[in-house]
Amino acid sequence: MSAHRKIEVLGPGCSRCKEALRVVQHVVDQGRLDIEVIKDESIERMMALGLMATPGVAIDGKLVVSGRIPKAEEVRTLLGIA
Amino acid sequence: MTGLAPAVPDTVIESGRFRWLAAAGAVVALALVYSQLQHIASFVTYDLLRLETGSRLALAIEFFVYEVPKVLLLLTGVVFAVGVLRSFFSPARARHLLAGRREFSGNMLAAVFGIATPFCSCSAVPLFIGFVTAGVPLGVTFSFLISAPMVNEVALVLLFGLFGWKVAALYLGTGLAIAIAAGWVIGRLRLEAHVEPWVWKIQSGEGMPEGAKSWAERVVEGRASVREIVGKVWLYVVIGIAVGAGIHGYVPTGLLASFMGRDVWWAVPVAVLLGVPMYSNAAGILPIVQALLGKGAALGTALAFMMSVIALSLPEMIILRKVLRPRLIATFVLVVATGILIVGYLFNAVL
Repeated sequence: MSAHRKIEVLGPGCSRCKEALRVVQHVVDQGRLDIEVIKDESIERMMALGLMATPGVAIDGKLVVSGRIPKAEEVRTLLGIA
Repeated sequence: MTGLAPAVPDTVIESGRFRWLAAAGAVVALALVYSQLQHIASFVTYDLLRLETGSRLALAIEFFVYEVPKVLLLLTGVVFAVGVLRSFFSPARARHLLAGRREFSGNMLAAVFGIATPFCSCSAVPLFIGFVTAGVPLGVTFSFLISAPMVNEVALVLLFGLFGWKVAALYLGTGLAIAIAAGWVIGRLRLEAHVEPWVWKIQSGEGMPEGAKSWAERVVEGRASVREIVGKVWLYVVIGIAVGAGIHGYVPTGLLASFMGRDVWWAVPVAVLLGVPMYSNAAGILPIVQALLGKGAALGTALAFMMSVIALSLPEMIILRKVLRPRLIATFVLVVATGILIVGYLFNAVL
């Protein structure tokens, strides 16, 4: 298996952030992926990634979604497993 | 909200002509329905339900059957259009254009961007930090943060649908004016020292490169905002109109004039005070307000109440407390509340 991968969902816990987390978790669970899902509510992390609109999603430390809830298919594509 | 709902099938982006044709056909059909709503409503009330002409129940039912589809159709159309429009904007783009701006022209630009940029109040803190650390002046940042929730498309549609375009235009104009003036005043007061010190030390990351979007993607975004916004507020709208319909049919005209009328000077400040702890959307409140107005309440008072509910929300202040010291929050509330008061009195005076 490849190196340890992680996918972060960033947001202060509003309903849209929970929805984004639900989509990401769904993709990982459904595909039985060996990827760590992290929910980060800290502003420091958001700023470090340069995120100004929540929810955000970062894959392996790189911001890929900002200010919206991604679709499952999109998350698979971003993970490179579509 | 537990468990996983079945995964929504992802929208297939096709650029075929048939799709556009079907969409255009749907728009035309809906516009036809929209233009015939008055006839449909009276048909349902008097021919289908055979209610007595002019009876209270008939008035209430006719109002409901007319207003619900009218407002929902308008809402869907406008939210879609705004969703497409917003795909041209992003907080990063707004920041880029606002950084280092001078006061006033910066305030004006920020207020306009506040309307056009997709924003949810839970993003207020990262957006605030992102703006001020990139050199957007504090007052300009506030103009953005005030106009984003205050001038919202749902309120605009409801005002247009229920009160006509003049009131909608006044709301848009005064909402922008409050955001510009309040931000400018906050900028003049030089309150930078009342931002929590750790904010200035943050190093913002570069964010995400933004690629150009195709029209198909913009349409998808428009549809997504319809699903998200209309899906969230439609029930409030229906309940609001139902209550409004009840008031329309049953509350005698003039009943409210005595304590919500324009001659009652304290009505506007009380309305603003009542609005602060309430955290709701304009959708549920406006239809009720409209019915109240028909019974003698003053429009300025009603609008001040609505603006206070959506622009001065307690939860947002609690969120902003993370980055702002109490004195800056108090100033923010005071300045915005003053602006709303002026608007309330102004509306009562001119309308």
